Amino acid sequence: MHWILAVSIFFLFVSSWWMLGLPLPSEVFRFREFPFQLHKNLGITLVMVLAVLLYVRFKHRPAPVTSEAMRPWMQKLAVADHVILYVIIIACCVSGYMSSSYSGWGTTFWWLVEFPNWGYENEALNILYSDIHLWTCWALLAIMAVHISGALYHAFLNDGVVRRMLRL
Amino acid sequence: MATSFSDPATNSPSRGPAWASCLGVVAIVFGIFLTATHGNEWMKQAVIAQPASSEQVAEADCPEDELEEEGISLAECEQLVANIETMTVSRPDWFRGFQMGLAALGTVVAFGSVIIGAALTHYRHWAPAAAILTFGALAAIDIVGFIAVVNAGPLLRALYLWNILLWFLIHMIMTVGAVAGRRSETIDRQIGSQSADGRQPDPDPDWSV
Repeated sequence: MHWILAVSIFFLFVSSWWMLGLPLPSEVFRFREFPFQLHKNLGITLVMVLAVLLYVRFKHRPAPVTSEAMRPWMQKLAVADHVILYVIIIACCVSGYMSSSYSGWGTTFWWLVEFPNWGYENEALNILYSDIHLWTCWALLAIMAVHISGALYHAFLNDGVVRRMLRL
Repeated sequence: MATSFSDPATNSPSRGPAWASCLGVVAIVFGIFLTATHGNEWMKQAVIAQPASSEQVAEADCPEDELEEEGISLAECEQLVANIETMTVSRPDWFRGFQMGLAALGTVVAFGSVIIGAALTHYRHWAPAAAILTFGALAAIDIVGFIAVVNAGPLLRALYLWNILLWFLIHMIMTVGAVAGRRSETIDRQIGSQSADGRQPDPDPDWSV
Protein backbone atom coordinates (compact mmCIF):
# COMPACT_ATOMS: atom_id res chain seq x y z
CA MET A 1 0.00 0.00 0.00
CA HIS A 2 2.92 2.30 0.84
CA TRP A 3 4.39 1.83 -2.67
CA ILE A 4 1.08 2.39 -4.42
CA LEU A 5 0.71 5.63 -2.43
CA ALA A 6 4.25 6.71 -3.30
CA VAL A 7 3.91 6.00 -7.02
CA SER A 8 0.49 7.71 -7.11
CA ILE A 9 1.84 10.83 -5.41
CA PHE A 10 4.78 11.16 -7.81
CA PHE A 11 2.54 10.42 -10.78
CA LEU A 12 0.20 13.19 -9.61
CA PHE A 13 3.14 15.62 -9.45
CA VAL A 14 4.62 14.70 -12.83
CA SER A 15 1.28 14.57 -14.62
CA SER A 16 0.02 17.83 -13.10
CA TRP A 17 3.08 19.76 -14.30
CA TRP A 18 2.53 18.33 -17.78
CA MET A 19 -1.26 18.72 -17.95
CA LEU A 20 -1.15 22.39 -16.97
CA GLY A 21 0.89 22.90 -20.16
CA LEU A 22 -2.02 21.61 -22.26
CA PRO A 23 -4.29 24.08 -24.12
CA LEU A 24 -7.14 25.63 -22.12
CA PRO A 25 -10.38 23.67 -22.62
CA SER A 26 -12.64 24.77 -25.48
CA GLU A 27 -14.93 23.25 -28.12
CA VAL A 28 -11.86 22.38 -30.21
CA PHE A 29 -9.35 21.46 -27.52
CA ARG A 30 -10.37 18.79 -25.05
CA PHE A 31 -6.86 17.61 -24.19
CA ARG A 32 -7.27 18.42 -20.49
CA GLU A 33 -10.41 16.33 -19.94
CA PHE A 34 -8.81 12.93 -19.37
CA PRO A 35 -5.72 14.03 -17.38
CA PHE A 36 -7.76 16.27 -15.04
CA GLN A 37 -10.35 13.57 -14.44
CA LEU A 38 -7.59 11.02 -13.77
CA HIS A 39 -5.82 13.49 -11.46
CA LYS A 40 -8.98 13.95 -9.38
CA ASN A 41 -9.74 10.23 -9.32
CA LEU A 42 -6.25 9.35 -8.17
CA GLY A 43 -6.33 12.07 -5.51
CA ILE A 44 -9.64 10.84 -4.08
CA THR A 45 -8.45 7.21 -4.19
CA LEU A 46 -5.23 8.25 -2.47
CA VAL A 47 -7.17 9.61 0.52
CA MET A 48 -9.12 6.34 0.73
CA VAL A 49 -5.95 4.22 0.58
CA LEU A 50 -4.31 6.48 3.16
CA ALA A 51 -7.31 6.00 5.48
CA VAL A 52 -6.89 2.21 5.24
CA LEU A 53 -3.12 2.53 5.80
CA LEU A 54 -3.64 4.69 8.90
CA TYR A 55 -6.27 2.26 10.24
CA VAL A 56 -3.84 -0.65 9.83
CA ARG A 57 -1.00 1.43 11.33
CA PHE A 58 -3.05 2.27 14.45
CA LYS A 59 -4.50 -1.23 14.74
CA HIS A 60 -1.09 -2.90 14.54
CA ARG A 61 1.34 -0.42 16.04
CA PRO A 62 4.94 -1.28 15.16
CA ALA A 63 7.42 -1.83 18.00
CA PRO A 64 9.52 1.23 18.84
CA VAL A 65 12.86 1.50 17.05
CA THR A 66 15.75 0.45 19.28
CA SER A 67 18.71 0.94 16.95
CA GLU A 68 21.86 2.40 18.53
CA ALA A 69 22.18 4.56 15.44
CA MET A 70 18.83 6.23 16.07
CA ARG A 71 19.43 9.33 18.20
CA PRO A 72 16.52 10.82 20.22
CA TRP A 73 16.17 13.82 17.89
CA MET A 74 15.98 11.44 14.94
CA GLN A 75 13.15 9.55 16.62
CA LYS A 76 11.29 12.82 17.12
CA LEU A 77 11.98 13.93 13.55
CA ALA A 78 10.73 10.59 12.20
CA VAL A 79 7.47 10.83 14.16
CA ALA A 80 6.97 14.50 13.18
CA ASP A 81 7.76 13.70 9.53
CA HIS A 82 5.10 10.98 9.42
CA VAL A 83 2.42 13.07 11.14
CA ILE A 84 3.09 16.10 8.91
CA LEU A 85 3.27 13.89 5.82
CA TYR A 86 -0.15 12.35 6.43
CA VAL A 87 -1.75 15.69 7.33
CA ILE A 88 -0.32 17.38 4.23
CA ILE A 89 -1.40 14.56 1.89
CA ILE A 90 -4.95 14.85 3.19
CA ALA A 91 -4.89 18.68 3.04
CA CYS A 92 -3.52 18.58 -0.50
CA CYS A 93 -6.18 16.15 -1.74
CA VAL A 94 -9.10 17.82 0.05
CA SER A 95 -8.12 21.33 -1.14
CA GLY A 96 -7.81 20.00 -4.71
CA TYR A 97 -11.27 18.47 -4.52
CA MET A 98 -12.76 21.66 -3.03
CA SER A 99 -11.13 23.76 -5.75
CA SER A 100 -12.61 21.46 -8.36
CA SER A 101 -16.02 21.68 -6.67
CA TYR A 102 -16.04 25.47 -6.83
CA SER A 103 -14.73 25.50 -10.41
CA GLY A 104 -17.98 24.12 -11.73
CA TRP A 105 -16.29 21.12 -13.38
CA GLY A 106 -17.82 17.83 -12.21
CA THR A 107 -15.97 14.81 -10.88
CA THR A 108 -16.95 11.32 -12.03
CA PHE A 109 -15.15 8.85 -9.81
CA TRP A 110 -13.29 6.50 -12.16
CA TRP A 111 -15.81 7.42 -14.87
CA LEU A 112 -18.49 5.51 -12.96
CA VAL A 113 -19.88 7.44 -10.00
CA GLU A 114 -20.91 11.09 -10.26
CA PHE A 115 -19.47 12.89 -7.24
CA PRO A 116 -21.46 15.67 -5.61
CA ASN A 117 -20.07 19.19 -5.91
CA TRP A 118 -19.72 20.51 -2.39
CA GLY A 119 -20.05 24.08 -3.62
CA TYR A 120 -21.56 26.20 -6.36
CA GLU A 121 -19.41 27.74 -9.09
CA ASN A 122 -17.41 30.44 -7.32
CA GLU A 123 -14.28 31.89 -8.87
CA ALA A 124 -12.88 33.40 -5.64
CA LEU A 125 -13.24 30.17 -3.63
CA ASN A 126 -11.90 28.14 -6.54
CA ILE A 127 -8.75 30.30 -6.60
CA LEU A 128 -8.45 30.21 -2.78
CA TYR A 129 -8.60 26.39 -2.64
CA SER A 130 -6.41 26.18 -5.72
CA ASP A 131 -3.75 28.25 -3.92
CA ILE A 132 -4.03 26.04 -0.82
CA HIS A 133 -3.71 22.99 -3.09
CA LEU A 134 -0.61 24.44 -4.73
CA TRP A 135 1.19 25.38 -1.51
CA THR A 136 0.32 22.17 0.35
CA CYS A 137 1.68 20.22 -2.61
CA TRP A 138 4.97 22.16 -2.53
CA ALA A 139 5.12 21.44 1.23
CA LEU A 140 4.43 17.78 0.48
CA LEU A 141 7.42 17.66 -1.87
CA ALA A 142 9.64 19.17 0.84
CA ILE A 143 8.47 16.77 3.53
CA MET A 144 8.87 13.81 1.17
CA ALA A 145 12.48 14.88 0.61
CA VAL A 146 13.01 14.56 4.39
CA HIS A 147 11.19 11.18 4.35
CA ILE A 148 13.35 9.81 1.52
CA SER A 149 16.54 11.22 3.08
CA GLY A 150 15.73 9.35 6.30
CA ALA A 151 15.24 6.08 4.42
CA LEU A 152 18.50 6.57 2.49
CA TYR A 153 20.39 7.45 5.71
CA HIS A 154 19.33 4.20 7.36
CA ALA A 155 19.99 2.23 4.17
CA PHE A 156 23.55 3.55 3.87
CA LEU A 157 24.06 2.90 7.59
CA ASN A 158 22.63 -0.62 7.16
CA ASP A 159 21.33 -0.50 10.74
CA GLY A 160 18.25 -2.62 10.07
CA VAL A 161 15.80 0.27 10.40
CA VAL A 162 15.19 0.35 6.66
CA ARG A 163 14.26 -3.35 6.67
CA ARG A 164 11.70 -2.52 9.31
CA MET A 165 10.27 0.15 6.99
CA LEU A 166 10.16 -2.24 4.06
CA ARG A 167 8.83 -5.32 5.80
CA LEU A 168 7.83 -7.79 3.05
CA MET B 1 31.00 -4.87 4.38
CA ALA B 2 28.03 -5.89 6.51
CA THR B 3 27.65 -4.07 9.81
CA SER B 4 26.83 -5.59 13.18
CA PHE B 5 23.82 -3.47 14.04
CA SER B 6 20.79 -5.36 15.28
CA ASP B 7 17.46 -5.43 13.48
CA PRO B 8 15.04 -3.45 15.66
CA ALA B 9 12.07 -5.39 14.35
CA THR B 10 13.35 -8.72 15.48
CA ASN B 11 16.30 -7.81 17.71
CA SER B 12 18.30 -10.24 15.60
CA PRO B 13 21.50 -9.27 13.83
CA SER B 14 20.79 -7.43 10.59
CA ARG B 15 20.75 -9.66 7.53
CA GLY B 16 22.41 -8.78 4.29
CA PRO B 17 25.40 -6.75 3.25
CA ALA B 18 25.54 -2.97 3.11
CA TRP B 19 25.70 -2.85 -0.71
CA ALA B 20 22.34 -4.65 -0.96
CA SER B 21 20.76 -2.30 1.59
CA CYS B 22 22.03 0.81 -0.26
CA LEU B 23 21.26 -0.43 -3.76
CA GLY B 24 17.84 -1.68 -2.65
CA VAL B 25 16.70 1.66 -1.32
CA VAL B 26 18.16 3.55 -4.29
CA ALA B 27 16.27 1.14 -6.59
CA ILE B 28 13.05 1.79 -4.66
CA VAL B 29 13.38 5.59 -4.86
CA PHE B 30 14.27 5.64 -8.57
CA GLY B 31 11.72 2.90 -9.30
CA ILE B 32 8.94 5.05 -7.86
CA PHE B 33 10.05 8.10 -9.91
CA LEU B 34 10.36 6.02 -13.06
CA THR B 35 6.97 4.32 -12.67
CA ALA B 36 5.40 7.78 -12.46
CA THR B 37 7.45 9.06 -15.42
CA HIS B 38 6.61 6.12 -17.71
CA GLY B 39 2.95 6.28 -16.63
CA ASN B 40 2.87 9.96 -17.53
CA GLU B 41 4.53 9.28 -20.89
CA TRP B 42 1.84 6.71 -21.68
CA MET B 43 -0.85 9.26 -20.82
CA LYS B 44 0.90 11.96 -22.89
CA GLN B 45 0.82 9.83 -26.03
CA ALA B 46 -2.74 8.65 -25.33
CA VAL B 47 -4.05 12.21 -24.89
CA ILE B 48 -2.22 13.89 -27.76
CA ALA B 49 -3.84 11.86 -30.48
CA GLN B 50 -4.67 14.26 -33.30
CA PRO B 51 -2.41 16.86 -34.83
CA ALA B 52 -3.24 20.47 -34.02
CA SER B 53 -3.33 22.43 -37.26
CA SER B 54 -2.04 26.00 -37.61
CA GLU B 55 -5.64 27.24 -37.97
CA GLN B 56 -6.37 25.79 -34.55
CA VAL B 57 -3.51 27.81 -33.08
CA ALA B 58 -5.32 30.93 -34.24
CA GLU B 59 -8.51 29.54 -32.68
CA ALA B 60 -6.90 29.05 -29.26
CA ASP B 61 -9.61 29.87 -26.74
CA CYS B 62 -8.09 32.26 -24.21
CA PRO B 63 -10.79 34.12 -22.25
CA GLU B 64 -9.45 36.73 -19.87
CA ASP B 65 -10.91 35.19 -16.70
CA GLU B 66 -9.29 31.84 -17.57
CA LEU B 67 -5.95 33.55 -18.16
CA GLU B 68 -6.19 35.20 -14.75
CA GLU B 69 -7.14 31.93 -13.07
CA GLU B 70 -4.24 30.10 -14.73
CA GLY B 71 -1.84 33.02 -14.15
CA ILE B 72 -0.71 33.10 -17.79
CA SER B 73 -0.54 35.71 -20.57
CA LEU B 74 -2.37 35.56 -23.91
CA ALA B 75 0.90 34.68 -25.69
CA GLU B 76 1.48 31.81 -23.24
CA CYS B 77 -2.08 30.59 -23.76
CA GLU B 78 -1.51 30.44 -27.51
CA GLN B 79 1.81 28.73 -26.94
CA LEU B 80 0.01 25.94 -25.05
CA VAL B 81 -1.58 24.99 -28.37
CA ALA B 82 1.74 25.33 -30.18
CA ASN B 83 3.24 22.90 -27.64
CA ILE B 84 0.85 20.23 -28.85
CA GLU B 85 2.06 20.91 -32.38
CA THR B 86 5.64 20.40 -31.24
CA MET B 87 4.70 16.82 -30.42
CA THR B 88 2.53 16.13 -33.46
CA VAL B 89 4.67 17.65 -36.24
CA SER B 90 7.87 15.96 -35.06
CA ARG B 91 6.25 12.58 -34.43
CA PRO B 92 6.46 9.92 -37.17
CA ASP B 93 3.32 7.79 -37.65
CA TRP B 94 4.80 4.81 -35.81
CA PHE B 95 6.04 6.84 -32.83
CA ARG B 96 2.83 7.20 -30.81
CA GLY B 97 1.93 3.49 -30.70
CA PHE B 98 5.53 2.46 -30.16
CA GLN B 99 6.07 4.96 -27.36
CA MET B 100 2.81 3.92 -25.64
CA GLY B 101 3.88 0.26 -25.72
CA LEU B 102 7.35 1.06 -24.44
CA ALA B 103 5.95 3.32 -21.69
CA ALA B 104 3.49 0.61 -20.60
CA LEU B 105 6.32 -1.94 -20.42
CA GLY B 106 8.52 0.60 -18.63
CA THR B 107 5.79 1.26 -16.05
CA VAL B 108 5.49 -2.45 -15.22
CA VAL B 109 9.26 -3.11 -15.06
CA ALA B 110 9.87 0.10 -13.06
CA PHE B 111 7.27 -0.95 -10.49
CA GLY B 112 8.91 -4.39 -10.48
CA SER B 113 12.21 -2.69 -9.61
CA VAL B 114 10.54 -1.21 -6.50
CA ILE B 115 9.66 -4.74 -5.35
CA ILE B 116 13.14 -6.02 -6.28
CA GLY B 117 14.62 -3.09 -4.31
CA ALA B 118 12.66 -4.15 -1.22
CA ALA B 119 13.80 -7.76 -1.74
CA LEU B 120 17.43 -6.60 -2.04
CA THR B 121 17.14 -4.65 1.19
CA HIS B 122 15.85 -7.78 2.91
CA TYR B 123 18.56 -9.71 1.04
CA ARG B 124 16.37 -12.51 -0.26
CA HIS B 125 18.62 -15.14 -1.87
CA TRP B 126 17.09 -14.56 -5.32
CA ALA B 127 17.23 -10.78 -5.11
CA PRO B 128 20.74 -10.07 -6.56
CA ALA B 129 20.08 -12.11 -9.72
CA ALA B 130 16.60 -10.61 -10.10
CA ALA B 131 18.07 -7.12 -9.59
CA ILE B 132 20.61 -7.65 -12.40
CA LEU B 133 17.81 -8.78 -14.72
CA THR B 134 15.40 -5.99 -13.78
CA PHE B 135 17.92 -3.13 -13.81
CA GLY B 136 19.35 -4.51 -17.05
CA ALA B 137 15.84 -4.60 -18.53
CA LEU B 138 15.30 -0.97 -17.52
CA ALA B 139 18.60 0.00 -19.18
CA ALA B 140 17.52 -1.90 -22.31
CA ILE B 141 14.19 -0.04 -22.35
CA ASP B 142 16.15 3.23 -22.16
CA ILE B 143 18.33 2.20 -25.11
CA VAL B 144 15.27 1.23 -27.20
CA GLY B 145 13.57 4.53 -26.28
CA PHE B 146 16.73 6.44 -27.13
CA ILE B 147 16.98 4.81 -30.57
CA ALA B 148 13.28 5.50 -31.22
CA VAL B 149 13.62 9.18 -30.36
CA VAL B 150 16.81 9.53 -32.42
CA ASN B 151 14.70 8.38 -35.40
CA ALA B 152 11.96 10.94 -34.66
CA GLY B 153 12.12 14.67 -35.41
CA PRO B 154 14.53 17.23 -33.91
CA LEU B 155 11.83 18.75 -31.69
CA LEU B 156 11.23 15.42 -29.98
CA ARG B 157 14.95 14.78 -29.72
CA ALA B 158 15.33 18.10 -27.86
CA LEU B 159 12.47 17.09 -25.54
CA TYR B 160 13.44 13.51 -24.75
CA LEU B 161 17.06 12.57 -25.39
CA TRP B 162 18.78 14.09 -22.37
CA ASN B 163 16.25 12.64 -19.92
CA ILE B 164 16.55 9.18 -21.46
CA LEU B 165 20.35 9.39 -21.32
CA LEU B 166 20.26 10.28 -17.61
CA TRP B 167 17.93 7.38 -16.84
CA PHE B 168 20.14 5.04 -18.86
CA LEU B 169 23.19 6.10 -16.84
CA ILE B 170 21.31 5.53 -13.58
CA HIS B 171 20.18 2.06 -14.67
CA MET B 172 23.65 1.18 -15.96
CA ILE B 173 25.17 2.16 -12.59
CA MET B 174 22.53 0.12 -10.74
CA THR B 175 23.09 -2.93 -12.97
CA VAL B 176 26.86 -2.78 -12.56
CA GLY B 177 26.40 -2.28 -8.80
CA ALA B 178 24.21 -5.40 -8.58
CA VAL B 179 26.70 -7.45 -10.65
CA ALA B 180 29.64 -6.31 -8.49
CA GLY B 181 27.69 -6.87 -5.25
CA ARG B 182 26.71 -10.39 -6.29
CA ARG B 183 30.30 -11.15 -7.25
CA SER B 184 31.68 -9.86 -3.95
CA GLU B 185 29.26 -12.16 -2.10
CA THR B 186 30.57 -15.14 -4.07
CA ILE B 187 34.16 -14.17 -3.21
CA ASP B 188 33.20 -13.74 0.48
CA ARG B 189 31.62 -17.20 0.48
CA GLN B 190 34.74 -18.73 -1.13
CA ILE B 191 36.96 -17.15 1.52
CA GLY B 192 34.54 -18.17 4.28
CA SER B 193 34.46 -21.83 3.17
CA GLN B 194 38.26 -21.94 2.92
CA SER B 195 38.52 -20.58 6.49
CA ALA B 196 35.97 -23.13 7.72
CA ASP B 197 37.99 -25.97 6.15
CA GLY B 198 41.01 -24.80 8.12
CA ARG B 199 42.83 -23.77 4.96
CA GLN B 200 44.57 -20.43 4.61
CA PRO B 201 42.22 -18.10 2.70
CA ASP B 202 43.45 -17.64 -0.85
CA PRO B 203 45.36 -14.32 -0.81
CA ASP B 204 44.43 -13.83 -4.45
CA PRO B 205 40.85 -15.10 -4.86
CA ASP B 206 39.37 -15.56 -8.31
CA TRP B 207 37.71 -12.20 -9.09
CA SER B 208 36.78 -13.16 -12.60
CA VAL B 209 33.03 -13.13 -13.28
